[in-house]
Amino acid sequence: MKFTESMLRDWVETKLTAQEIGDLLTMTGFELEEITEVEGEPVLDVNIMSNRGDGASVMGMAREVLAKDPSAQPTDLYRRAAERFPMADAADTSVWSRAHVTIESPLCNRFACRVFDGVVNGPSPDWVQERLRKIGQRPVSLLVDLTNYVMFETGQPLHAYDMAKLGDTIVVREAREGETLVTLDEKEHNLSPGQLMICDATRPVGVAGVMGGLDTEVDSLTTTCLLESANFNNSSVRKTRKDLGFFTEASFRFERHVDPDGVVAALNRFAELLVAAGGPAPVAGVADVYPRPPQANTVRLRIDRVDKILGLTVEPSAAASYLAKLGFGVEQTGPREFLVTTPSWRIDIEREDDLVEEVGRVHGYELIPEALPIGSTPLGGTHGADFAIDKLAEALVRCGLTEVVNHSLRDEHSLDGTGDRVKVRNPHSPEIALLRNSLLPGLVETSARNNHADLRFFEVGRVFNGDRESTSLGVLMVGAAEKPHWQGTDQRQADFFAMKGIVEAAFAHIGASIQLAQADDKRLHPSRSASVTVNGQIVGVFGQVHPDAAEASGLPPSAVLAEFDLGFLEEFKPADRPLKTFSRNPAMRRDISMVFDKSVSYAAMSQAIGQAGGPLLEKHWLFDVYAGKGIEPGFHSLSFALQFRKVGANLTDEEGNQARDSVVAALASLGGTAR
Amino acid sequence: MGDLATIEAEAVQAVDLASDTAALRELEIKYLGKNGLVTGLMKGIGALPPEERPAFGAKVNEAKARLQTHIDDKATTLKSAERLVQFREEAVDITLPGRPPRIGQEHILNQTVRKIKRVLGSLGFVYAEGPELEQFKYNFDELNYPPDHPAMDAQDTFYVTDDLILRTQGTALQGRIYETVKPPLRYFTVARTFRNEAVDRTHGHTFHQVDCFMVDEGISMAHLKGTLGAFASAMFGDEAKVRFRPDFFPFVEPGVDYAVSTPKLFGGRWVELGGAGMIHPNILERHGIDTERFTGFAFGLGVERIPMMAHGVDDLRHFMDNDLRFLEQFP
Repeated sequence: MKFTESMLRDWVETKLTAQEIGDLLTMTGFELEEITEVEGEPVLDVNIMSNRGDGASVMGMAREVLAKDPSAQPTDLYRRAAERFPMADAADTSVWSRAHVTIESPLCNRFACRVFDGVVNGPSPDWVQERLRKIGQRPVSLLVDLTNYVMFETGQPLHAYDMAKLGDTIVVREAREGETLVTLDEKEHNLSPGQLMICDATRPVGVAGVMGGLDTEVDSLTTTCLLESANFNNSSVRKTRKDLGFFTEASFRFERHVDPDGVVAALNRFAELLVAAGGPAPVAGVADVYPRPPQANTVRLRIDRVDKILGLTVEPSAAASYLAKLGFGVEQTGPREFLVTTPSWRIDIEREDDLVEEVGRVHGYELIPEALPIGSTPLGGTHGADFAIDKLAEALVRCGLTEVVNHSLRDEHSLDGTGDRVKVRNPHSPEIALLRNSLLPGLVETSARNNHADLRFFEVGRVFNGDRESTSLGVLMVGAAEKPHWQGTDQRQADFFAMKGIVEAAFAHIGASIQLAQADDKRLHPSRSASVTVNGQIVGVFGQVHPDAAEASGLPPSAVLAEFDLGFLEEFKPADRPLKTFSRNPAMRRDISMVFDKSVSYAAMSQAIGQAGGPLLEKHWLFDVYAGKGIEPGFHSLSFALQFRKVGANLTDEEGNQARDSVVAALASLGGTAR
Repeated sequence: MGDLATIEAEAVQAVDLASDTAALRELEIKYLGKNGLVTGLMKGIGALPPEERPAFGAKVNEAKARLQTHIDDKATTLKSAERLVQFREEAVDITLPGRPPRIGQEHILNQTVRKIKRVLGSLGFVYAEGPELEQFKYNFDELNYPPDHPAMDAQDTFYVTDDLILRTQGTALQGRIYETVKPPLRYFTVARTFRNEAVDRTHGHTFHQVDCFMVDEGISMAHLKGTLGAFASAMFGDEAKVRFRPDFFPFVEPGVDYAVSTPKLFGGRWVELGGAGMIHPNILERHGIDTERFTGFAFGLGVERIPMMAHGVDDLRHFMDNDLRFLEQFP
């Protein structure tokens, strides 16, 4: 909300500068957005908290300054406002014969009006126009400008009707099916039941608390004016203005609460400003319908509670004074206890802790000391699955992969998973209409963004399949392992085995042993992909991208992908890793090369080697695979290194040769022939 | 058999003339080796009268020692000359590019998250996560939002159904924790959160929040301020200070906005980091927690805000664009 420095100084005398006033308001909760100089005067723009409708007025701002600034004094205007701008005609009922007001809906809390005869609706006084201009409002006419000005001063929205167009009957009721209304902004609205309207004898003439109708508006020919000041149900105004697509100064205030006891005061303030501007005095009396004035709320306040919540010591007399300055009724009921009555403009105060905040923010939060929490301290940090997930990510970083973060919201993609998609009902764009059910599409897009050039990416994030939300790990690798260098580096392209090595290393890092099998995933190359099983449960797949998926997604066909559902980590316990003792005697190496039919799997050979090598075989590894010249088509030659070692004694050559021969024999029984 | 003095003189001359360490080594073998000329003189000792033998042996040994020293000295001289040649030949241009290792790296957001996890974990807060696709009630009702309140205007929400939304705030975890854990308790989370907003430099529909809360006996705003002070020092340096100003969030009472200032950032200007406050007694009561006995605090902040402040990142979209030209700036 904007107001000029002079508008505030009409209400409160203070030694503070405009900037200091802004800073003070910030520290009361009404954050200063900015101060701008308009036509030579500072204009303050402050944020109004959504539970503090009372702050959307100069009077409300003045009240905060008075509570927090010891040098501040209320002006005569403020004092008269606190008295609700009393007028001598309060008890006069003359106006009732001119305006017949009925409330037919409980959504209207109060409706009051005054009637002015002999109005000349010319321009408003210069000072009013100037102030409205400075706060960004366009001056219109005397009546319109004064309704706006009084709203900015007191927070009570007003509306002026031309009685020649309106007639003398006002009915506040909900709209009827089929009714329409053209509002001041010249837009026509189809109204529905539940929307509260100000009506004349036959039809709606204004959307209650939001905007008046076009054909009852005051204009330069208006001579008789009915001035409305009313109070409506907060959420009803909010719902109606949202349904009809409005956002007005009036609805902003009603949504946040307007003081129902300030309704007549705003009419009276308008009347005095109109007279001061040379206008007529109103017809005597106020036509005021107020079916259910709300009960004032009383709340017990213990100073011990204040101290306990704020973490500092506040004198009871100081607390009482803060509350009194904010307009609360304060009755001392014990040495450190008060019964506090909340003013009608503060519906946000419901219970004791709300009062603690009032005392605290006036006292000053800067006085709160810093202390570390007391009490029982649990074992902090990440545990269980969260810990394992972090560890898995760490393993991938160690493997040279770069972590990326992609959106959960996206559109369809050729690498989507097969699970049921979750749709967002109200996306603002079709590109974010679905929740991802796989991390692969995001990774493919990340790859594209970086030109598919020698990339190693992984992501950990949530995926959504039907009503199951789970954490997933996705990996994408494409191109060379290392950046080119003048000395030459590892320029081998990422492939199935590069991915397999990383998968094995990452799972080993969290202590999970994995089994592989042929994968069944339409996104992957059917004969270059594998599923990964942990504890009998398939947790994911990896492999080269399916050529069709590569074509559809623009991914290079050599790219390799992996995706794992990390849900298994919720129940996962890493296997114990007892220390394996190792020999201090020297090792002996024997290399063998055997030619096999390509249909014989490495797994079978490796298992045969392990068994035949016996306890002397410390480890073995494959160091060459060759097919081509000298080898029959359909066959290839595999070269294994065998490393033998004995515990507590050195091996003899014969022992080594014997063990090697057993391995060769075992491989021969799988169809291998020595090369 | 030659005369000792002659042999020695000859050897010294040969050593002096040796041009490299290999030639020197040959001379060493020739004169001092097992069958060398000097060593060989000892073989003739048997032919001498017994009374002359000790003196002769001593003379030979002295000559051997002198010659050895002479050879060693010469070796040192030759070797350093040879090293000089070697170093000149092996010289590299140290300005040539180093061979880059393949280094994996954490995303800048997760670097921040992992630091936050360390800091809050070491303050005794337990990490927990809730779902991104959250029930409306945990996101709003359980957090004391009145139905359709203007407070929700700041929380433009993506709906999947009336009851199922993309969470707008990490605070949604609170109600879930109270359902399963009784106080005293201390928890924190890092949550991906969503707002149905158009995307520009400073607004995204997706961002990340830290939310941290505790409930115990005797917890006050001083403990909130102290915890935020410790957190700010760990994240922004020891000189970081924390300031509260009143603000409204339905789930805290009193509610504050907290700002951090440190001489290192923005010239010490106060920078608002997030919302905080004492957990609203309505929330605690809803879960049967005695608000006379237990009180608690909660605070939240945007994860992106921290690297934005620290590195002057001026466009929120960088974080989820995953352009390596951005990511690689934060190794």
